[in-house]
Amino acid sequence: SPSLGRRRREVAEDEVEETPQEKKLRLAKQYLEELRQYEEEEEARPGDLIGDRLKEDVLEQKGRLQRLVAKEVQPPDPTSIRELRGHQLPVTCLVITPDDKVIFSASKDGSLIKWEVDSGKRLCVVPGGKKGTEEQNMGHASQVLCMAISSDGKYLATGDRNKLIMIWDAATCKRLHIFTGHRDAISGLSFQKGTHQLYSASHDRCVKVWNVAENAYMETLFGHQDIITGLDSLSRECCVTSGGRDGTVRLWKIPEESQLVFCGHQGSIDCIQLINEEHMVSGADDGSVALWGLTKKKPLALAQHAHGMQEAQGLQQPYWISAVAPLRNSDLLATGSHSGSVKLWKCGEGFRKLEPLCDIPLVGFVNSLKFSAAGDFLVAGLGQEHRLGRWWRIKEAKNSICIIPLKQRATAPSPAIPDSS
Amino acid sequence: KKTSKPTKATVKQQQGKKGPLEMSAKKRVPFLRQVVSVKKKVHRDPRFDDLSGEYKPEIFMKTYSFLDSIKKQEKEMVQKQLKKCRNMEQKEKLQQLLNRMTQQEQAQKKQQKLRERELSLKRQQRELAKQGKKPFFLKKSEKRKLELAEKYAELKRSGKLESFLSKKRKRNAIKDKRRLPSQKNL
Repeated sequence: SPSLGRRRREVAEDEVEETPQEKKLRLAKQYLEELRQYEEEEEARPGDLIGDRLKEDVLEQKGRLQRLVAKEVQPPDPTSIRELRGHQLPVTCLVITPDDKVIFSASKDGSLIKWEVDSGKRLCVVPGGKKGTEEQNMGHASQVLCMAISSDGKYLATGDRNKLIMIWDAATCKRLHIFTGHRDAISGLSFQKGTHQLYSASHDRCVKVWNVAENAYMETLFGHQDIITGLDSLSRECCVTSGGRDGTVRLWKIPEESQLVFCGHQGSIDCIQLINEEHMVSGADDGSVALWGLTKKKPLALAQHAHGMQEAQGLQQPYWISAVAPLRNSDLLATGSHSGSVKLWKCGEGFRKLEPLCDIPLVGFVNSLKFSAAGDFLVAGLGQEHRLGRWWRIKEAKNSICIIPLKQRATAPSPAIPDSS
Repeated sequence: KKTSKPTKATVKQQQGKKGPLEMSAKKRVPFLRQVVSVKKKVHRDPRFDDLSGEYKPEIFMKTYSFLDSIKKQEKEMVQKQLKKCRNMEQKEKLQQLLNRMTQQEQAQKKQQKLRERELSLKRQQRELAKQGKKPFFLKKSEKRKLELAEKYAELKRSGKLESFLSKKRKRNAIKDKRRLPSQKNL
C-alpha cells in the first residue's frame, strides 16, 4: 500500500517510525539548526536577527502575519495594463515564479507559454497537440486546466483533461515526467511550499499526493462527493479543496489522514485560495465570495453577488466568480468574473468583513488571477470563454494575459503585526 | 444537491463551539450521492410483535367474526365451480378444497362448543359460590363422563345412535383381538 511505501522510505532515512507530532518536532529542530548555522556564517550583523526571523515565521505559520496593504492600494491606471497575446484559445491558468520574473500560462488549446515579465517576450512556447497525438507531441493533447510551480522555482506541474499531470523543468521547459493515476480530468495542482511534494485534485473526486523529486506516488484521499474544482496549499502539510456542487470546502490533513469539512456557499464552489495558514477565500457560481477561518464551519464573511447581476435568457442572474486571488499574508483580495472588471477587496479585522475597494476594467472571462509575491503587480488570464466550458462567448475579448501594476499610496509597506487575531 | 450530514464523524471540539466536521480521509465515497434522506421501511410481523398483545380467543372471535360470512360465500363459490367443472384433475382439487373448508368449519364449531361448555361450568360454580355453598372443581374423568352423556343425548336426537354404537363395538373387537395370543406362540 502507498502509505506503507512512504513509511518504509522514512524508515530508510531515520531508522525510526514517528508520529506526525514527532515529525513536526524533528523539522523544527532541523530548522533551528539551519538558522544557527546561518548566524555563525553571518557574524557582523547587529540585533537578534534569528529572534526576529523566528517571530515572523511563527506568525506566518499561525496566520497572523498580516501586511495591511489594502488601504494603501490605488486604482491602477488603465493605460499601464499590458496585454500579452500568444494563445489561440482562452487562457485557463497561470503561475508566477517566486522571483516575480517569469509567468507561465496555459490555455484550452493545450499550449504552454513562458513569458518574461519585464519585456513581455515569449521565452518558450510548448504547443498543444490535437487529440490523438500524445505519442509525437511533447506538450498536452487536451485542455490544460491547472498548473503549479514549486516554491524554489524548479518544477512546473500542469494538469489537463486527459488525466495526465506533466512535470516540467521550469528553466528549460523540458518535460521531466508524467504522472498517471487519476481517473478523470485534473482540476487542481499545488506544491507544498518549501518542498517538492505535489497535491493534485481531479474530477474523479480524489486528492492525490505525489513526490516530484522522486517521481513517486504517495497516497490518495477521499471524501468529496462531487468533482473537485480547486486546490491550494501553503507550507503546512495540508491542502484545501473546493468541491463544486457538493457545497463543501475541505481541508485535508495529510499526516493525520483526516479532513475538516466546511460548508456555506449555495452555488457550486468554483475556486479557492489560501490567504495565510489559517484563512482562505472561495468563490462560487452564485456570485458569492466567502472568507473562511479554520475554526468555524461556516464562512466568517460572505459577499453576495460580488460582481453584480447579468441578463441571461430574460432572467437576472449573478455573474459567476471564476477566479479569486489573495495577496498572501495580507488583507488584499482580487476576484474575477466576466462582468468586465476585476474587483479588489479589503478583508476586515480578523477576516470578518469584506469591503470592496476598486474595479480594474478588463474585458472577457477572467479565468485566472495571481498576485506577485511582493504585491507590485497582478496578472490576469483572460479568455473569450469560461475555462471549464462554453456557456457564453465574449467576442470582444482577447485570449491573453494582462499584467496590472499596482501602486501604493505610502512609500513602502511595513509589516504590521496585529496584537490579537 | 446538498448532502445530508455524514453519519460517522468525530467532533473534536468543545461541546459549545461547533467547528468544522472532522472525518477520515481514507474511506472511499460511494458514487451515488444521497441528496434526500430516505427512511428505511421497518418490517414488522404482527404475529411476533409486542404491539399486537396477547392472544385472547373471545376478543379474536369478536373482531374477526366478519370472516365467517366471507368463508360461507367462498364455500358456495367452490361448490358452484365444482358443478360446472369438467376436468377431472381440477375436480379433484376442488373437491379437496371443499372438504378442507367444511372440515375447518366443523373444527371451529367444535372449539366453540368446548368454550361454551367451559363457560357454563364456570358460571355454575360462580352461582354456587354466590349462594354461599363451597365451589367444587370437577375431575378430568368426570368431565369426560359429562361429555359422553351429552354426545349420547345428541346422537339419540339425530338418530345415528345405532350406527355409531356398532362401529364402536367393531373397533373395540379388533383391538381386543390383538391382545389375544397369536398362532406363533402356540
